[in-house]
Amino acid sequence: MKPPEMSDMRTEYAKTLIEIGRENPKVVVLGADTTDSLKTSVFGKEFPNRFFNVGIAEANLVSISAGLAASGKVSFASTYAIFLPGRAVDQIRNGIAYPSPPGKKGLNVKLVVSHGGLTVGPDGGSHQQIEDIAIMRAIPNFRVFIPADTIAVSKLIRLMANEYGPFYMRMARSKTPIIHSESQEFQIGKGITLRDGSDCTIAACGITVRMALEAAETLQQEGISCRVLDLFSIKPIDGDLLEKAARETGCIVTSEEHNIFGGMGSAVAESVSERHPVPIKRIGAQDMFGESARDNEVPLLLEKHGITSFNMVKQVKEIRSKKI
Amino acid sequence: MGLNYYHIKKNILRARRLVIKSTSIAGSGHPGGSFSMAEIMGCLFYKFLKFDPSNPSWEDRDRLVLSKGHASPGLFSNMAVAGYIPESELETLRKFGSRLQGHPDLKCPGVEFCGGSLGTGLSYSIGVALAAKMDNKDHHIYTIIGDGESNEGQIWEAAMTASKYKLDNLTAFLDRNFIQQDSYTEKVMPLDEELRDDNISEMWKDASRWKTGDKWRSFGWNVIEIDGHRIEQIDLAITKAIAAKGIPTIIISRTIKGKSIEHMEDNPEWHGKAPNPEMVPLINLELDSQFMIAPSIIAGDMTNLENEVKRCVHGRADYIHLDVMDGQFVPAKTFDYNKIKELRSLTVIPFDSHLMISEPVKHVKDYVEAGSDIITVHAEVCDESSFGEINDLLKQSQVSVGLAINPDTDLPEWSYKFLPTLDQLIVMSVFPGKSGQKYITETHEKMNKLKSILKDHKFTGYIEADGGINLENIGSCFEDGARAFVGGSAIIGQPDVREAIREFRNQVLKTRRKTLIKKAHQLGGSDLVHKWIGLHVVGKKKEQITKIAQEEGFI
Repeated sequence: MKPPEMSDMRTEYAKTLIEIGRENPKVVVLGADTTDSLKTSVFGKEFPNRFFNVGIAEANLVSISAGLAASGKVSFASTYAIFLPGRAVDQIRNGIAYPSPPGKKGLNVKLVVSHGGLTVGPDGGSHQQIEDIAIMRAIPNFRVFIPADTIAVSKLIRLMANEYGPFYMRMARSKTPIIHSESQEFQIGKGITLRDGSDCTIAACGITVRMALEAAETLQQEGISCRVLDLFSIKPIDGDLLEKAARETGCIVTSEEHNIFGGMGSAVAESVSERHPVPIKRIGAQDMFGESARDNEVPLLLEKHGITSFNMVKQVKEIRSKKI
Repeated sequence: MGLNYYHIKKNILRARRLVIKSTSIAGSGHPGGSFSMAEIMGCLFYKFLKFDPSNPSWEDRDRLVLSKGHASPGLFSNMAVAGYIPESELETLRKFGSRLQGHPDLKCPGVEFCGGSLGTGLSYSIGVALAAKMDNKDHHIYTIIGDGESNEGQIWEAAMTASKYKLDNLTAFLDRNFIQQDSYTEKVMPLDEELRDDNISEMWKDASRWKTGDKWRSFGWNVIEIDGHRIEQIDLAITKAIAAKGIPTIIISRTIKGKSIEHMEDNPEWHGKAPNPEMVPLINLELDSQFMIAPSIIAGDMTNLENEVKRCVHGRADYIHLDVMDGQFVPAKTFDYNKIKELRSLTVIPFDSHLMISEPVKHVKDYVEAGSDIITVHAEVCDESSFGEINDLLKQSQVSVGLAINPDTDLPEWSYKFLPTLDQLIVMSVFPGKSGQKYITETHEKMNKLKSILKDHKFTGYIEADGGINLENIGSCFEDGARAFVGGSAIIGQPDVREAIREFRNQVLKTRRKTLIKKAHQLGGSDLVHKWIGLHVVGKKKEQITKIAQEEGFI
């Protein structure tokens, strides 16, 4: 595979926010002293009256976003992943997800975070959020996305802005390779088949999508035909696509930079086991925390947790022997 | 505009009864915190809030955010009185399938905020206030937080933020009742200063120990400190809060948890416990037996009425009775509206202007403009048409309407049609004209006769006893049905007005306790009397009530 073009999710997020901010005066953006890092401060420069930096006060951030949404605004609240689900889950649950105006489910707040997962790197295990998907998936009315590239970021932000209700979207800290084409469509609850295959399926999201494509390429050379899915929509998960993959390929490997409990792998296992059980192997943090790794060492950190295309190849080979 | 004093008061009473009804049926809930904020809710719902029950999501409505969401019965009951939901729906509180959840919920139209997880409502209100500013809307956001709730760090995050954004469209109330779930707030987590013993009145008495206002001031808020059970103080505080520009306001309201029911007052047990259904008739009777003391200043130094008003203020009078005499309807002459206008600036305590004048219909407007909150005219100088005119004018001006009858006057038949909405009835127990006369004992008989007429014509106002009221006869006046008591020489004529008022109150309280015990005995014999007394665990109430019960032979 040729080296991919790299692109920054936060820059794309801010750019998209400004575009939708111009189109829709109801869009408001909130931050908690990470607005330069998240790049949302540029939205504040263009729309100073629709931008609120509430300081290092995440609970406050979430509840204020809810109040704005209850008054008809479309609230985008952003900071690092570790500080939103990890810190303000009560305000998220009781303040955004639970209050349901007549005929609606939850308030119109979009929580868009950066610095998800282990690739946060140097800041260390305290700042590597590997439980957010489990937390957010468990809260009714929330929909949960992990985009694989900046094209997904831009399209999902637009999608969220136009679709009423609470969303959680986790972006990566580092630049990510472009995976999708500009014409790729994104729908809530619909996964994307990036590569067809008949012997096994790798379901990935976020930074593991590129790894999955590389693994499939390697497996191809060894005569194994591997299907690759980008499951950016973790909740709702694409049960139809997964059932089809289970029927047609007979086994599934999942991969994510999240604890194996409660993340995308769990969502896949829940869906497949109910609809068409096949052997599943979950790659991810094996119920242990991350640790500091300098930027050039992040691959070592991921390797420690088995989040590599090499391990995907290995797991595909192993799981094929367990097919029913 | 007047205070709309009795209108607010009557609705607060209705709401309190609904709190008792709903929590006792539900078997759980939080009456204590519902009662501590009852007067705040009453002033908001029946005077300040702009809302339309038939269009709960009206864009320009004011927003009421109950951050201390456990006091939901206090919110729902007022929403019922205000017409959002039928009163009967309160019976479904906390029931499966009900719109009235254990904590306020958007399932019930008109509820602004899903409260309950404490500490979050003020931040939410900031969001609502920011949106209003953005949209150039002039509606106001009122948020009620608790003192226990103020343990939450998010309250102080919000305090900083509202100040940063200069949210003058946001007014917070701190329901400072000094009690949270485990115990007294100053024991669990002091907001003012650590409590030395279990007597929280210690905190009330000593203003130098109040630190909460300083905290909020230092966070950049406009701080107003009031007695949160006094309608006139709440009224003024809200008026000032709305007028403050460029700064959010917090009204620190010192309140009493469980206010109005002796055994619940200041008792941490009643934070989150429902009343036992067998006690409900007694509690309702106690709610119906709230009373007020109104000194009459003409019993004092007529050359220095300003000082008499000040003595009333110091004495914590509920309101001030102003006897206006014109020298025609009665032989004596006191003062007119010009004097009232002068006195008005001295206090916000409601002015109860008793017009003993001929042709009141011609002058009543002057008394409204002078700042009266309650105006009473004499039946002897009115007829259906003129009283109708007076009634309309007063109601429009948010001034409470009173009608007075002399000792030798029966309630005229033309007045019956006004009884359902009449706020105050004065049954004179002396011939008006001068201060210091002796109570006419035939008044008791007259009051008894009046009872059935008032009941038949659905009178829900207050009866005011006026004329020769003193410590000897005040109890029997209470038993006759009077709930407001004018004290002339027996209060203003005393050197220590505060002490005289306190004695008046204690005397009525004693009679009220006796009435309640009597009722308990009637409903459930000495068994219920014992249970009732057993509820009064705070302070010396239990021994005092036991003594009354023994004296009366009920135990």
